[in-house]
Amino acid sequence: MKNMKTPDILKDLTCSIAVSGHEELLARRLKEIFMEFCEEVWIDKFYNVVGKMTASADENGYIDGRKMKVLVMAHMDEIGLMVKSIDEKGFIRITSVGGVDPKILPAHEVIIHGTRDIPGIIGAKPPHLLKPAEANKSIKIEDLAVDTGICAEELKKVVSIGDLITLDFEFTELKNGKFSAKTVDNRSGVTALIEIMKELTGIKHGADVYFVASTQEETHLTGAIISSYAIEPDVAIVIDACHGNMPDTSKEETYALGKGPAVGIGPVLDRKMSQTVINVAKDENIPYQIDVEPSDTGTEAWATQVSRAGIPTVLLSIPVRYMHTAVETVHVDDIKNTGRLAARFIARLTRNMEVI
Amino acid sequence: MFETIKKLAGSFGVSGSEEQIREVIKNEIDGKVDEIKVDALGNLIAVKKGSGKKIMVAAHMDEIGVMATYIDEKGFIRFSNVGWVWQYFALGQRVMFKNGTAGAVFYEQKLKEIKDLKLSNMYIDIGAKSREETEKKVKIGDTACFVGDTVLAGNMVMSKALDDRGGCAVLVKTIQEMPDTDNEIYFVFTVQEELGLRGAKTSAFGIMPDIAIAIDVTDTGDTPECELMEVKCGGGPAIKIKDRSFIAHPEVRRLIENSAKEIGIPYQFEIMEQGGTDAGAIHVTGGGVPSGVISIPCRYVHSPVEMADITDIENCVKLLRQCLKGY
Repeated sequence: MKNMKTPDILKDLTCSIAVSGHEELLARRLKEIFMEFCEEVWIDKFYNVVGKMTASADENGYIDGRKMKVLVMAHMDEIGLMVKSIDEKGFIRITSVGGVDPKILPAHEVIIHGTRDIPGIIGAKPPHLLKPAEANKSIKIEDLAVDTGICAEELKKVVSIGDLITLDFEFTELKNGKFSAKTVDNRSGVTALIEIMKELTGIKHGADVYFVASTQEETHLTGAIISSYAIEPDVAIVIDACHGNMPDTSKEETYALGKGPAVGIGPVLDRKMSQTVINVAKDENIPYQIDVEPSDTGTEAWATQVSRAGIPTVLLSIPVRYMHTAVETVHVDDIKNTGRLAARFIARLTRNMEVI
Repeated sequence: MFETIKKLAGSFGVSGSEEQIREVIKNEIDGKVDEIKVDALGNLIAVKKGSGKKIMVAAHMDEIGVMATYIDEKGFIRFSNVGWVWQYFALGQRVMFKNGTAGAVFYEQKLKEIKDLKLSNMYIDIGAKSREETEKKVKIGDTACFVGDTVLAGNMVMSKALDDRGGCAVLVKTIQEMPDTDNEIYFVFTVQEELGLRGAKTSAFGIMPDIAIAIDVTDTGDTPECELMEVKCGGGPAIKIKDRSFIAHPEVRRLIENSAKEIGIPYQFEIMEQGGTDAGAIHVTGGGVPSGVISIPCRYVHSPVEMADITDIENCVKLLRQCLKGY
């Protein structure tokens, strides 16, 4: 991993399945990776993977006589589907885990994760059979069914209620540094965690850094709530995806791909720390964008800020197009620059919550 | 089992006013545990001491109801909901205030379309002729529960507040015949679940157990033309996979499933797309408490005619007992 290129890390991570609440497999893979960089790595009861990099220079890193703690968090879980019911003909009815948009599902290839993996497809009613009233109707998830070709009796031997279903996809390299895959939200963020580790391996930092690949963000922010409580950091940096610009979207809601991480500014984030991050980006010539967030950012920052007595929280977002589909698209430079910016910020942070 | 459910379901305990149901439960379990305490919010915590794992078992003792908000000059009471009360379920029902005062819930007759029915155009009539007469019995801020006697219908029990006195009955029965285990078990009868899992939150923080199991009711998909759901009354206890409040922890889910297999009772998996349970609050307590739920399949939840299968409830007791021994 130390010598792996950023796209290869992203590819490695997007190929693991970790639907919210079922992150055990990816957690084990991440533990191996984190161990290449961190002195201590553990998986907590909710499969959050925590890696601790101990301070390398301590002259600046003490608060109230103890070492300062920086939490850097990116969620590793992904949205997905779940088996809700199997009808007498073997069609599987589904429910969603996290924010799945039903209109992207018809005609998708899927994998049903029963006692073994089974390929399936989500059917779609042909236009010839649509009644006029149906043609303009929005699609609801209860209207969709997964077809495996297997009869109900046989299917029930390997698939049961609550089994996961994921969208099949290919990791695709587009032109000019862009990559498309499922779970780019937020495996890009987890890749950025690894980029930070790489950067910090070469530079001195005064704080103990706790890297958390967190779980269940897409459903209830569970991993963020639990791990920020358990670690009790002095500062939290949350890394997640924001919307990349795409046709027919407004400029104020989307961010350019390849122009750097978006630094969040708003009431649920720490204004002083956010400004400090921006100052570091300017000093170090790292491209950045500004992400204005008047209230809930839709990220784990919502949970970390109010953990225990409160944690000053910074949000770095990586622009991702087509969020919550199997073709989420990211620019590799944005991942690298997120890693660089966070690492430089951590390295320069002092006990007074200022940078040197 | 029926007698226990009848006693518990018939008691008064609207969210935030759980004094009466708490006393009833306390009497049922007195002398059967090592310690009984009541925390700051009013949760009733019964402890069986032990040197093993700390397990929290939660069932909420509060029930939905209404609260008097205004009394007009003719003595009619305007009210608000406590917990999720559907106006169409409330219409034409009888409510009972804590002091026993009965009231009829009705609506303003000038209402043209029944689809416009809201709790705000409904009122409670306690038979009083004036504000003064009403105020002798009911003050604003007083709460009332819906009335629904506990009766047997075939193998089903029908009652108000099976949500979650059914779960409370499972805990009481488990306590009365305490399983033989070294584990330290905290049986918690929580308050204010219907207001947002509030009692579970504080009691779990106070206990910080190794794992938690909540016992609550779940919806079913076995009535005419209902929403698709693979849970049936009579199909055995339901093992929760997820609801709106959380995703059951795989370790606890496996414990419950394996326990059901060990004792050979029927069970089913549950995905509940609306609503949540105490486990949703417990599992994000402190540094995290792996939690799961054993659900009682229940028709017509949040109405005064909730129905559940007695055998399912009895099997919940067996299943819980096995989980407590097996963990």
